[in-house]
Amino acid sequence: MKASYKGTWWLLATAFLLLFAVSAADGRISLFGYEPKASDMYTRLLGSRQEQPASGPETDVVPAEPREEKRPEPDSLPKTILLFGDSMLEGLSPRLAAYCKASGHSLYTVIWYSSTSERWGSTDRLRHYIDKLNPDYIFVSLGANELFVSNIIDKRTRYVKKILSDIDTIPYVWIGPPNWKEDTGVNRMISDNAAPGCFFLSDGMHFNRKKDGAHPTASSASLWMDSVVRWMPEHCAHPILLRVPTEPTARPQRVFIHQPNE
Amino acid sequence: MTLLTDLAHNLAEILSYTPGSPMLFSSGLFWGLFLLFLPLYSWLRDRRRQMIVFVVLFSFYFYYRCSGSFVLLLGATSLLDWSLSRLMLRCPSSAGRKACVAASLVASLGVLCYFKYANFFLWNWAALVGHNFEPLELILPVGISFYTFQSISYIIDVYKGRVEPTRTWLEYAFFLSFFPALVAGPIVRADYFLPQIHNSGHADRSEVYTGLWLIILGVVKKAIIADYLAQYNDLIFNSPGAYSGFETVMGMIGYTMQIYCDFSGYSDMAIGLALIMGFRLAQNFNFPYKSQNLTEFWRRWHISLSSWLRDYVYIPLGGNRHGTFRTYLNNFLTMLIGGLWHGAGWKFIFWGAMHGAGLAVHKASRPWLGRLGDSWPVKAISWLITITVVMLLWVFFRADTFGDAIILISHAATDFSPTYLAPFAAARTLWLIMLLLIIVAHALPVNFWNRLGDMFVRSPWPVKLLIFLVVVQCVVELQEQDVSPFIYFQF
Repeated sequence: MKASYKGTWWLLATAFLLLFAVSAADGRISLFGYEPKASDMYTRLLGSRQEQPASGPETDVVPAEPREEKRPEPDSLPKTILLFGDSMLEGLSPRLAAYCKASGHSLYTVIWYSSTSERWGSTDRLRHYIDKLNPDYIFVSLGANELFVSNIIDKRTRYVKKILSDIDTIPYVWIGPPNWKEDTGVNRMISDNAAPGCFFLSDGMHFNRKKDGAHPTASSASLWMDSVVRWMPEHCAHPILLRVPTEPTARPQRVFIHQPNE
Repeated sequence: MTLLTDLAHNLAEILSYTPGSPMLFSSGLFWGLFLLFLPLYSWLRDRRRQMIVFVVLFSFYFYYRCSGSFVLLLGATSLLDWSLSRLMLRCPSSAGRKACVAASLVASLGVLCYFKYANFFLWNWAALVGHNFEPLELILPVGISFYTFQSISYIIDVYKGRVEPTRTWLEYAFFLSFFPALVAGPIVRADYFLPQIHNSGHADRSEVYTGLWLIILGVVKKAIIADYLAQYNDLIFNSPGAYSGFETVMGMIGYTMQIYCDFSGYSDMAIGLALIMGFRLAQNFNFPYKSQNLTEFWRRWHISLSSWLRDYVYIPLGGNRHGTFRTYLNNFLTMLIGGLWHGAGWKFIFWGAMHGAGLAVHKASRPWLGRLGDSWPVKAISWLITITVVMLLWVFFRADTFGDAIILISHAATDFSPTYLAPFAAARTLWLIMLLLIIVAHALPVNFWNRLGDMFVRSPWPVKLLIFLVVVQCVVELQEQDVSPFIYFQF
């Protein structure tokens, strides 16, 4: 290699190796008290693939056999519904709001941009909103920002458990993330911890995506919400009445927005 | 064994085309590939033919990783253009040469119009005749607007005799697919670039480090500032009217700086990469928000596009050679086309038209503006008017719909209260610091940046490494899972 390139090449290579080492250490390095955030370089290159059975994580999306037990009748009483989660709510919320409006429910949406189970599970934000709004039904959409976290089961299970303990006895549906790539286990982690009939697996569904390649387009997100609603009467542990709306979208009673670093 | 299997699987996945996940210059993947590219390139640099083959292969792979099978379209476009340019050389008659140009233009613009504008035209047609509109399932090839303009300039320059057609297809493919400028510019002109293939050599150490400095600047602008500012700006533009007037104004200012950092950051990286390879790309941004009128703004903003529009649209339309009214009209039409180039939508046409009208107004007012003198209050007022117009027009550019833009602007005008400043600063401290930093950085004199670049080049190697590491770690710290693609990728 020509001498003029050597300095730059070694610089790029050294920096690459250092960043790779930090990524491999995955948060276990401390430099004068500063713990550098790790990139996903290591996971993307050497992370093991998630072993999944052909049918994916435990879910009731398509049951192999028709259920024999009697399904609970959808609860038709007007509800106060809380929808909380990450930026995927931008697509889900307007459509769910339309269902709620058509069915007499009140919907409150809490969007915490770029949030993860870790953020929700390590703060009292969810508890705060439950106390404030007193919902009697909850939809969660979380996991899209954790698709590629390595060793996710070890790292994040406690946060999922914390979220579920905050939800406590309130009936809920956790809408799984709309995978755009194979995940490292987030769907399995949620599925393993959620109560039976409370997790909707979105992985494997087809989505038209926005330019960012991750978020479903508005129309695709509406169809996503439609799929959740269609799934509920047969497979959800706590089905509620959600009438097909005449309007494509509506506004929730109120939307609470939180910045990524709040 | 499992490790190797996982590595092979992951590598195959990383190196394959993934829709919606182009290979960005600021990504780890590009970084890793460039580490492999550089030694081979250095080795082949003096073997011109092998170097061209190697760079073309790398560029085509780069394009495949960004746009999948559309790499075949790029290959076909380059082959057709090159064949027509060679045919033109052998054509004895003027009519034959014109036919070659026409064929090339029809093919290039036809492909561009099909992928970029077909749905827009069909939608408008359906609205006009009252039919139902079902959009065609079209995916826009990444960077098609950029390389189409390059191919048009090449064929016209060959026709006009300004450029000798390349002897081989490989040389032309090298020019058209040169990966630093392939997907988001700057728009490279054949008369400037082609001679460099034969005349340039290895970059010296100073040029290589200057290239690295530009890449670092680009990463700071794009991956740190623009992406971070975008998080708040997106909230404002996705929910027009949901925030206070003060927050809306901050979102507008934020987007004004975001689009500058995003696009000029990409240009810096492209120019820096090319410089490391020993090629010079023309400057694309020259502190555009310092402009005191719209004419100056377009001499400083996206210079490669505005000079392309001047040479291949404005001057062929007649430029300023047919009287005052035609000059204004030509200006207006050129900017209209410039607006349409940015996207298939009425909002882009409106944005271009308003800039065209603004240019005409500025040209018409020049006689009495000249009488105002050159004092600092005049300069300050001129700057304020220009930046306000530019900022308001960016709102139309960014908002999802024309209606959203109107809501945002009217909300900013009717609901603005400075009392929001303190709570805003408390809630969004880092965002505000970033915004102020880039505003100050943009306001600094050009000499300051030149001196800083020289200092970086002369600094010891460990200092360079430290700067690079700090910048990359800042990117990692601030990066969200969903990395924003370059705004100009979509054009």
